[in-house]
Amino acid sequence: MKVRPVRIDQVIPSIVERDAVSHHTLEAQRVLHSMGFVSEIYACSMGPGLAGRVHPLSELPRYEPERQWVCYQASIGSPAADAVVSHPGLKLVDYHNISPAELIERWMPQLGAEVRLGRRQLAELAPVVELGFADSEFNRGELAEAGYRNTMVAPLMVDTANFYSPPDPHVVRRLQAARAIGGHDWLFVGQMLPHKAHHDVIKALACSRRIFDPQARLHLVGRESCAAYADALRRFVSALGLTDAVEFVGSISPGELSAYYTSADVLVCCSDHEGFCVPLLEAMHHRLPVVAYGVAAVSETLLDAGIVLPDKSPVLVAAAVQRVLTDHDLRDSLVRAGLRRTRSFTVEGARRAFAQAVEQVLQAV
Amino acid sequence: MTSEVVAQIEAQVSQMRATGQVPPELEGELDECFEEVAQASLASAASRGASDSDPGARDRMAGRAGSMGLVQLRRQATAAARRRLGPSFRRLERRGALAVARLGEAASIRVHVTADHLERLAASSPRASRVLSAARPGEPTASVAGAVRPSIDGPLLAWVLERIGATAAAGARETPAVVLHTECGDGRVVEALAGRGFDVRGADPRAPVRADGDTRIVAAGALEYLGATESGTLDGLLLTGVVDRLRPGEGRVLAQLAARCLAPGGVVVLVSARPEAVVALDPVAADLAHRRPLHPVTWCHLLARHGLSVLAVFEPDANEPDVFAVSAQRPAPAIFAGGGSA
Repeated sequence: MKVRPVRIDQVIPSIVERDAVSHHTLEAQRVLHSMGFVSEIYACSMGPGLAGRVHPLSELPRYEPERQWVCYQASIGSPAADAVVSHPGLKLVDYHNISPAELIERWMPQLGAEVRLGRRQLAELAPVVELGFADSEFNRGELAEAGYRNTMVAPLMVDTANFYSPPDPHVVRRLQAARAIGGHDWLFVGQMLPHKAHHDVIKALACSRRIFDPQARLHLVGRESCAAYADALRRFVSALGLTDAVEFVGSISPGELSAYYTSADVLVCCSDHEGFCVPLLEAMHHRLPVVAYGVAAVSETLLDAGIVLPDKSPVLVAAAVQRVLTDHDLRDSLVRAGLRRTRSFTVEGARRAFAQAVEQVLQAV
Repeated sequence: MTSEVVAQIEAQVSQMRATGQVPPELEGELDECFEEVAQASLASAASRGASDSDPGARDRMAGRAGSMGLVQLRRQATAAARRRLGPSFRRLERRGALAVARLGEAASIRVHVTADHLERLAASSPRASRVLSAARPGEPTASVAGAVRPSIDGPLLAWVLERIGATAAAGARETPAVVLHTECGDGRVVEALAGRGFDVRGADPRAPVRADGDTRIVAAGALEYLGATESGTLDGLLLTGVVDRLRPGEGRVLAQLAARCLAPGGVVVLVSARPEAVVALDPVAADLAHRRPLHPVTWCHLLARHGLSVLAVFEPDANEPDVFAVSAQRPAPAIFAGGGSA
């Protein structure tokens, strides 16, 4: 009889709801179940609402190597990676990128150390991993650089709750009322972390208000994950006299987020590092044109569906936004290209790609 | 097209800079301003003793639950409430502590009541008791496997042998037909099937290596053995034991594995405790059972959903009041079914 693994378990440093990598992991479990495997998720820490669906890492079983495979969801340094390295089963790595430490450690030294650890663990896993798959070509390239022999791209299984949730009518009304004074609404969506460079978006807004659009507003949606950085942003906004123009929205529900996407005029992304950047997809789905700094995987995610800038000097970003807002033909073509681009990221397609990646290893071993 | 647009925008910005439409000091001032506030914020964070800015930040960045954040939030909220409400808040605190103590007492009573019910169950229904004890949280898998043994005797054994024997043999691709019994215990049913001429194998996680060199029974759980079995290679499959203590989702996986492993025309028979034997007897005890059997209707649905045709259901009788069995068959392609078209 040909031996086929019974279980393909997943290990993830931590898992919570409303998180792209966590959602991807839960989707991957569904795919593995549909392929007939027993598959459980083991995590160092888990958020509320996931008890029963996720097990503590300490419970990761160790069966015979040919009967159990382990798939590690890599995104940060963690003891979970060591547990995977020492596990006897065949190993897979699903890589979602690890932010460079130098972008983080000034603000969060401990986190800087953890991402450095994550990079080191990624390299340690390379010789013992059968296949490394990544959710972008950019990430696949990093795996290859880290020494992975077999690599492939398997797209992120994106949480479409933010795509299809109806816009919250109260938020829509409030945002529409604010437009009465004129000016355009800029939007940025992402955790408030230093490498997301919210401060550069604020600088661009300040330039735009000075040169192009005196009533322009900016909405910053996303969890405040670094208190010092969030504090600096508030001080910055206050120092620039933009308190009424910049809204710190925080973490919100899918319906509220949908309201922001549908009410905004442009999504502006000045991140210094993105392994994929789901908000770009969400914006395109909501027919929102995108202006972004083309770093890391941003260009690959957008392709021709957004204005991808070679640098992010505030005036250049402001001028690009102004062009998108005033050139209606350009705006329409970006929206159409964005819709085409989002259609290439269907959940079904991503599930198939993930299943194919697993099948490829099954055939190879 | 967008690269052309970007080039146009860059040219426009260059022109604006050249013509003085962009104040030359604007961007430099913005950079300096942010650097100043950044240093102030970092100094402020350091003076608060939060050199990492936010202790829960790395958890949240990595998508972790921010338990530290909640603790801090509660501490701050409590302090604020004390300041605002004074004596009223302290009264509320005392009531809260009392409520927590009462809750603990109620939980303790519930545990005692449950233990008492389990003992009474053991006296009234030995099989249900075995299932329940096996399903208690924290029970190691190996001992669970040992606690629940298939007890297939009398009419039920005859029914199982008839189902496996008649239909598996009829649908077999080869002679003798290959039959697998998962969690076969001491192997009595394996012996009975072997006596009927089947190439029968048994799998049980607690099976010892046979001293006589007989390798028909191997040490393996049902899910892992089926998972490692090549598709379409079994003519008969008897599932016992594992079906009595399924975690959520495992029933579906088991049905899927069974459907995959069966050859066309092959038959699966599962023998399980009735869920009523666990659930209806005592709801308090049943609440503790996170591993439990499924209802016959559920099994029929799961098997049918994975392409198997349900053949028959063995209903509980006086001899085995707590047990039922279901048999289902993987349909054979029309070419094997006879009556071919002209």
